[in-house]
Amino acid sequence: MKLEDIRRKVDKIDRELLVLLHERMGLALRARRFKEEVVDEAREEAVLERAGRLKLNLVEQSFGQQLLRTIIEESKRLQGEARELVAFPGEHGSYGEVAARRLAPTAAHAPCMEYADVFTGVEEGFFDLGIVPVEHSLEGSVTQVNDLLTRTTASVVAEVNVPVSHCLMAVEMSDYRDLRVVYSHPEALAQCAGFIARHKLEPRPFYDTAGAAKMLARENPRAAAAIASPLAAEVYDLAILKEGVDDGPPGSTRFLLLAKEPRPATPGKCSIIFATAHQAGRLFDVLRLFAESDINLTRIASTPRRNDPGNYTFFLDFEGSPGEKKVARVLKELETRTIELKFLGNYPIDDVTGQKAAE
Amino acid sequence: MKNIKLASVDGREPTVVRAGAASIGRGFAVIAGPCAVETEEQTLVTARAVKAAGADLLRGGAFKPRTSPYAFQGLGMAGLKILGQARAETGLPVVTEVLDPRDVSWVAEYADVLQIGTRNMQNFALLKEVGRAGKPVLLKRGMYSTLEEWLNCAEYILGEGNPNVVLCERGIRTFEQYTRNTLDLSAVPALRELTHLPVMVDPTHATGRPGLIGPMSRGALAVGADGIMVEVHNNPSEALCDAKQALTIDRFTDLMRGLRKLETFLAEAESEGEVTG
Repeated sequence: MKLEDIRRKVDKIDRELLVLLHERMGLALRARRFKEEVVDEAREEAVLERAGRLKLNLVEQSFGQQLLRTIIEESKRLQGEARELVAFPGEHGSYGEVAARRLAPTAAHAPCMEYADVFTGVEEGFFDLGIVPVEHSLEGSVTQVNDLLTRTTASVVAEVNVPVSHCLMAVEMSDYRDLRVVYSHPEALAQCAGFIARHKLEPRPFYDTAGAAKMLARENPRAAAAIASPLAAEVYDLAILKEGVDDGPPGSTRFLLLAKEPRPATPGKCSIIFATAHQAGRLFDVLRLFAESDINLTRIASTPRRNDPGNYTFFLDFEGSPGEKKVARVLKELETRTIELKFLGNYPIDDVTGQKAAE
Repeated sequence: MKNIKLASVDGREPTVVRAGAASIGRGFAVIAGPCAVETEEQTLVTARAVKAAGADLLRGGAFKPRTSPYAFQGLGMAGLKILGQARAETGLPVVTEVLDPRDVSWVAEYADVLQIGTRNMQNFALLKEVGRAGKPVLLKRGMYSTLEEWLNCAEYILGEGNPNVVLCERGIRTFEQYTRNTLDLSAVPALRELTHLPVMVDPTHATGRPGLIGPMSRGALAVGADGIMVEVHNNPSEALCDAKQALTIDRFTDLMRGLRKLETFLAEAESEGEVTG
């Protein structure tokens, strides 16, 4: 190994140390929600004692413990701040985190592997806010999230459209000619199927786009690349070999921001969920209400009712706020025309389309 | 000619190759740009200038086949990205050379036309690969090749199912030393008798002398070529590759003005039946 190679490895390790610290600080902030006080002396001692048991001949015990003490101090400082905690789906660098950065730029962003964890975390107060993808401009509804929305007690308080800009990335110094396999979330692999076939790569499904980037950076498997967001390349220090590797026109994903409590009425739009009796004209009755009140609908989607096969729950987004008379009247009227009605939230419209945001 | 099945005239209509907004095989197409992509600035400045002067396509090498392995080999992938930027900004379709079969699919991501250089004319593995890449191919004449050998190479590409092949005469080796090669302008009308494929002329490599590029370009137009491919550099004396033969932007702009006038004149003369045998 030459000096330059050794230095490259050192740089990589330094970077990984910082990314790991970032993850550790995020966990400390999450832990705070379970503790009465910031300081927990017994826990601190246990952490230091555990480190003391690890024998590494180049990391002196005293140095290791001193380092951990410094990290613990910083964790406590962060825990003392009144920083909001936002859960997003996927690993750091996922499109969910891109949405979190847009909707809550100053908050701490916590990765969650399951959509359900985002919902329950917000409902039970372990997170202040949660981010979930509700629909893709090209693929339509995210069914799992829509299903969770029908059952949640949380409110929708904001929305954002995030442009999907898939990039092919690999560890620095890897030669694109040697690439044989590409890891990513199955949906991203499907969106880039043409590109993958053109270069005779083998698609390998992975649990998350950013997760694939993270694995690549940590394990450096041979002849492998990942497809993920530009943010993932930045977080895991990967080289972008090609931008815009999706086959179709540029798409975007619409994310919702969830909070335990609704926010005060605001000009913008509302999301509701309802079901009607299984009788002729009932859905039409509902839609007519909106038409007659001159309220513009922005989305209508349906999902099968789990406990009532053959019947459907409808998602409706419309322009306006419950503070407006005509909206309040329609909402009241809806109660009598539906067998189930849930007001998901009222929030400002994100009128920056995915395309514009990308530029 | 035996074995020239797909490239031969055989009553076929002349082929028009479309690349982005440009067509080769209808009118007189001009491909211009630097020998090699050196920097973002050099490429973008040159691209804007050749566009303003009326060029139809942009050339620029990201992978360079150099006589010496120690000479500048091109920026590779980074060069392709710069070409992609120049294309997005100017709208000019991009012509760029590919040297290695393993690079074909990657170069095709950025290029509108894949160029096979003179040294690779008979690299059959490469020809087959570009035949499958789904992009038009500009096939330069090997510097020691006969027309028959050249057409056989076109046949390799056509045989893979790619009908969009453009031939480009770039001079052949003779005993003459004053010019870099000897431009075989007679190849243009000769190929018209043999093939339906469009034929272009590269006066830059054919002569290696900026002073001869203008006359040879007008000659190419007069003998019925479908276009020319010229090297233009925003600062030729500092070019990393073939510095002595590139035209300055001013000189290229003048050349274009004269060529477009001559093109109109020839078109009128032809419509009046004044240009025959």
